[in-house]
Amino acid sequence: MNSDTVSSGKLSVIHTKGTLDWAYPTFILASTAAAMDKEVELFFTFYGLKAVLKSTDTLKVSPLGNPGMVLHSPVGPNWFKELDLNSVLPGLVWTLPGMSLLATWGFKQTLLQQGQVPVGELRDLCIELGVKMTVCQMTMDMMGYKEEDFIEGVEFAGAATYFANTPKSQSLYV
Amino acid sequence: MELDYAGLVCPMPILKLKKYLAQNKGQIVDIDLVLSDKGSLRDIPAFCEQAGLNCTLLKSEPEIRFNIKSC
Repeated sequence: MNSDTVSSGKLSVIHTKGTLDWAYPTFILASTAAAMDKEVELFFTFYGLKAVLKSTDTLKVSPLGNPGMVLHSPVGPNWFKELDLNSVLPGLVWTLPGMSLLATWGFKQTLLQQGQVPVGELRDLCIELGVKMTVCQMTMDMMGYKEEDFIEGVEFAGAATYFANTPKSQSLYV
Repeated sequence: MELDYAGLVCPMPILKLKKYLAQNKGQIVDIDLVLSDKGSLRDIPAFCEQAGLNCTLLKSEPEIRFNIKSC
């Protein structure tokens, strides 16, 4: 980061992850930067497209192949809630049918209990704060999505547009 | 004037404070902000510095309380 990028007050994030957990850092950073008067541009590519679909229901999270994830039960006695289920249960457990739905439910409940808002609400706040969002056209075509599958206000373009719009931005890759 | 954001976590206190400031643009700011999110101890002063507001920590236990004023 040099002084030029700081004084220009621009942030861009390339968002590539299609899971619920990773949608949070991008929308948290984007909304906060916008609240601090930065111009913010989000570029969604590959699995990251799921973060801007109209329905946030396809955003899930699973401990499977995700050893960094900490998963607490939102219900039960305190000693049970304190356990990190991703450490204490064998990895095979998460391959059972319904486990990603259960883990996603638990993750959402834990976030809400902590005072976090649902991801769709955070995304709406980003739009309200003027965060610009662009969906990668090539990925959209490749994955078989249509423009109407995405929330209002997103634009559709490719990598050249991203680079043309963000030369002076502090850039992050999520 | 008191704004109670206890129970909210990052980034909501900042976003709600920003919304309040935007809705009261041009007016003299003098608010007490009540928070429970510990990250706010650093984030609220950082936000205020950038927004050109005076920020004073009144207390941090049991709840966090800031006074925020126009410079």
